[in-house]
Amino acid sequence: MWQNNLAKTFFSLTILIVLEGCDSINDEGLLAQKSIIYCSEGSPESFNPQTVTSGVTIDATSNQLYNRLITFQSEDNSIAPSIAKSWHVTRDGKKLTFYLRKDVSFHSTKYFTPTRKLNADDVLFSFNRILDSNHEFHNVSGGKYPFFQSVEFSKLVEHLEKINDYTIRFTLKHADSSILANLATDFAVILSAEYAEQLTKLGIQQQIDILPIGTGPFKLKEYRAGSFIRYIAHQEYWQKNKTIEQLVFDITPSNTGRLTKLLAGECDVTAYPIAHQKIIEREDLILDAVTSFNIGYLGFNTQKPPFNNPLVRKAVALAINKKAIIDTIYFGKADIANSIIPKASWAYNEDEQAQLYSVSKAKELLALAGYSDGLTMDIWAMQEPRAYNPDALTMAKLIQADLKKINITVNIVSSFEWATFLKRLTLGEHQSVLLGWSADHPDPDNFFTPLLSCASAKAGNNRTFWCNQDFDKLIQSALQTTNVNLRKQYYAKALAIIADDVPVVPIAHSKRFQARSKQVSGKILNSFGGISFVGVRKN
Amino acid sequence: MAREKIYQEEEFPSPLMQLWYNFRQKPIVMLGFGAVLFLIILAIFSPILTPYPSTQNHLNDLLLPPAWHPIDGNVSYLLGTDKLGRDMLSRLMHGASFTFGLSFIVVIISLIIGVVIGSLSALTSGIKSSFLNHFLDVVLSIPSLLLAIVIVAILGPGLSNTVWAIVIVLIPQFIHVTRNEVKQEFTKDYVLASRLDGASSLRILQYSIFPNIIEKIIGQATLAQSAAILDIAALGFLGLGAPIPMPEWGAMLSDGIDLFYIAPWTVYLPGLAILFSVVATNLVGEGMRHALKLRKDK
Amino acid sequence: MLLLTILSFSLSFLFPGNSVINMSGQVNATAEQLSLLAAQYQQNENIFSQYLAYISRIFSGDLGLSMASQLPISSEIANLLPATVELSLVALLLAMVTGIPIGFIAAIRHRKASDNIILTIAMLGYSIPVFWLGLLAILVFSIQLGWLPSAGQISLLYEINHVTGIQFIDILLSDSQYKWQAFQNAGAHIIMPACVIALAPATLFIRLARSAMLEVLETSYIRAAKAKGLTLQQIIFRHAIRNAFVKVIRDVGLQFANLVTIAMVTEVIFSWPGIGRWLIESIFHRDYTAIQGGLLALSCFIFLVHILTDFIYAALNPLAREKKHGT
Repeated sequence: MWQNNLAKTFFSLTILIVLEGCDSINDEGLLAQKSIIYCSEGSPESFNPQTVTSGVTIDATSNQLYNRLITFQSEDNSIAPSIAKSWHVTRDGKKLTFYLRKDVSFHSTKYFTPTRKLNADDVLFSFNRILDSNHEFHNVSGGKYPFFQSVEFSKLVEHLEKINDYTIRFTLKHADSSILANLATDFAVILSAEYAEQLTKLGIQQQIDILPIGTGPFKLKEYRAGSFIRYIAHQEYWQKNKTIEQLVFDITPSNTGRLTKLLAGECDVTAYPIAHQKIIEREDLILDAVTSFNIGYLGFNTQKPPFNNPLVRKAVALAINKKAIIDTIYFGKADIANSIIPKASWAYNEDEQAQLYSVSKAKELLALAGYSDGLTMDIWAMQEPRAYNPDALTMAKLIQADLKKINITVNIVSSFEWATFLKRLTLGEHQSVLLGWSADHPDPDNFFTPLLSCASAKAGNNRTFWCNQDFDKLIQSALQTTNVNLRKQYYAKALAIIADDVPVVPIAHSKRFQARSKQVSGKILNSFGGISFVGVRKN
Repeated sequence: MAREKIYQEEEFPSPLMQLWYNFRQKPIVMLGFGAVLFLIILAIFSPILTPYPSTQNHLNDLLLPPAWHPIDGNVSYLLGTDKLGRDMLSRLMHGASFTFGLSFIVVIISLIIGVVIGSLSALTSGIKSSFLNHFLDVVLSIPSLLLAIVIVAILGPGLSNTVWAIVIVLIPQFIHVTRNEVKQEFTKDYVLASRLDGASSLRILQYSIFPNIIEKIIGQATLAQSAAILDIAALGFLGLGAPIPMPEWGAMLSDGIDLFYIAPWTVYLPGLAILFSVVATNLVGEGMRHALKLRKDK
Repeated sequence: MLLLTILSFSLSFLFPGNSVINMSGQVNATAEQLSLLAAQYQQNENIFSQYLAYISRIFSGDLGLSMASQLPISSEIANLLPATVELSLVALLLAMVTGIPIGFIAAIRHRKASDNIILTIAMLGYSIPVFWLGLLAILVFSIQLGWLPSAGQISLLYEINHVTGIQFIDILLSDSQYKWQAFQNAGAHIIMPACVIALAPATLFIRLARSAMLEVLETSYIRAAKAKGLTLQQIIFRHAIRNAFVKVIRDVGLQFANLVTIAMVTEVIFSWPGIGRWLIESIFHRDYTAIQGGLLALSCFIFLVHILTDFIYAALNPLAREKKHGT
């Protein structure tokens, strides 16, 4: 009769499991108090922000693992000291000297134990890696530094020298009003030269961007691709503010998945929540929003027919019903974009005409371009939500319906995951793409140069491959002066060129949302750049 | 001209008619049968019956709850709208022709192919037949959804590929049933009798055997039908089947997940529709098997 | 087994694209590298030796690289398969523990109201689309009641080293100070997906157990026992259950394949880090190497369980052992 016993054992086992389930809810205890779980929307491409531009990577790495020479003050977006305790710019704007702190220590992990604190060598190493194409680490991980390439950093910096162990000087070829802002962005992080040496000795240089060593408040404990990142507190962090002991990025690409986890209390903070109403209704949750410097757009590949013809681009622009898109995709919580510059920026041009929505005009233009019978086009849409576009696929579908009215048949391409998607865009395989840009710093140049300049077209960041000499000259001139009124005039002209030639159809400036449990206190969202868990606490 | 009854002959209905008599005894089964008929009518006539086209966007009426909702309900959208302002009722009705209608077609196609192969193989013997037998055993032990997923993996996602995958998946079941039944019937005396009369195998198959095994095959078809509905919906849900704008119930459900917490009806309703059609099919199947048993027991 | 490897071998030809790339997953390889691989795979020989080369690679654990992530398939499978094994075995246990007794009860109360109720519920049970059920379960138990977590295998708070991959064993092996908490947490995580998976197989077990019991109750030895004046209880517990149980066990292996398929879909809903979810994602990404390797691993697992239940059946039923040679 041993089956009976067997059956009994089965029963008692299940009962045991069920009982455990009930217990565990009340009894998460200490560990949960000391940790924060952040539900993020995607996997980072790399652990070195120098080599990427994507928001998800910046969110995961920049402020958590690293520090920059200087940083933005979160209150008024002014530049504040960080690793450099002070700095000095000569009157001609061509020499910048930074004085470093002496108490900054690097992470000590299973794979690296630092023997010294941060000094000028580390800063030199971090920037020479980008500037010097012969540097032994330049080509590790592909040799692309998209942000720095798009602002033409290596053309700007003449050279970089170490004055003493804690002083470093940048010499520029010409004055550039955005250099400090660029150095304060999330991309300009400081790596460890000593760690690099160790890796060179071992012959595993590529590890520098995979197993990161920085000076930031957290260090990497464990990363499982597509699943989670586990950070633990950096005990010797130079800014000694009490923070959490463990920070886990729970990678959850599904919008509903993140919301479910938030509602079920499985994550404390979640990126890009949907169903805002539901979150506001719940008393234990808070919905945060910042007006962020971003733009969601439809970009045309201007090198490929039919979009090498500006008339076709214009026709498509006229046929898109932006209002409907804002209401459906952003649930009305975004501004219609008239140009690529958001209202909050000083470069925003009030005179900029709102783009018309006119099917008949669009048809006329299309006929003029010789496509009176209509045409077929591809729209590439990413799967993951972004701040500037929470649901590209649905947006593509709306545009598909809009363009049907002017006899354009749209195929939606959305089968690639983020990294592949970007790679293929850089190769120019698309005809048009729904993409966007979140500013890295408040200087308006950050919209023009990375998005639409010729240099950026070469670096692959300008996915329209649009290269207009007049436009380039205007944005160059704007950089060479610090006179805001003058700069504003240049930018107004540049915007006029964009409106006329339509390399992109600006669609929306959205807010960036985040939801968190009431237990979590501290400022995580910034109006530009990545999130930061410095000083975030859990009660 | 009416034929006069000369003999006091007992009415002797065909096997199918007998089945029908037994079948309609149970009211719950008839309910299921009615539901299936309703779904078939819906699947055929949905383009005429629906209040709106399934992909028409009403951008002013996004995410309206069903009409019985006390505040936002709107009678012109009886079951509410989805995130693109498409009428849920229309989409569900159209969906009947995809999820239910397609599964019906799928079952009929695989039934025909399966029965043909099955009866042919029952007539042959030897290596070919035993190879087929073993092959079938292997295929039958693989769950249909898994096999369908594999086939879709080879063919690539899409509704038509899903349909073919499920057709392929279902064929072995029919071959198996037909083969066994035909073999069994062949051993019976009445077959021997007609064989002695000089009938060819094909003729026996057509006139003597098929009328006797058809109910078994229909019973198998109802099983296959419920499996096919669930498989089409599951593949649609996983994004391997119908592309999203199509109102296939599984795809609608996965489309609605994003709005699960704001607009739960976009998930409830397609799920209920699937449940309804599967339960209806299963009821008919159960009734059929029950009736079959009653007839055999007589 | 042979059939399985042949099937998965032929998949690389059925998938679109170059079969060498499909097998190795080297998407970025240069032409020379590819021709080297082709030589290694004996591509220029006939199909049979290609197949032999494939088999020898399987045995040496080389299943190629994932086309999407460029990681070796074998290590990915080693990471993911145990989670699926854990989930599906728990679900199988659950389905048997609930389904079989209920089926017996239904059979004993044959043609009574309770029998009908059980049958009706059973039919509803296998008519419910599993993905829908999973979503409803999350809505009710995670969100509205807040009893159970909705996703994953364990809360990410707990740092458990991957040793066997089966979470409960790993937790016991780990030296974390939060071991007991972690164990409870993992328990809470597995309940909902396991229940959702178990529902459909449980209803099948109900039907199987019911018909097995009915059959047993009509045999002559039961009637003999009745004639001897044993009470119903005695008959059921001493004689009927054992014999009916053996009959049900025979079908467990077949049902298990079905259960694993349901588990694949359920893994997607509950973000369970198992091989089913990974396979379905691989189909999206057209990651043919992953599909091939994943299917092979999954079917080997199903096959193993199948054999295991055959053994258990044989062990429990002396009749089956002797009959094997007879038929």
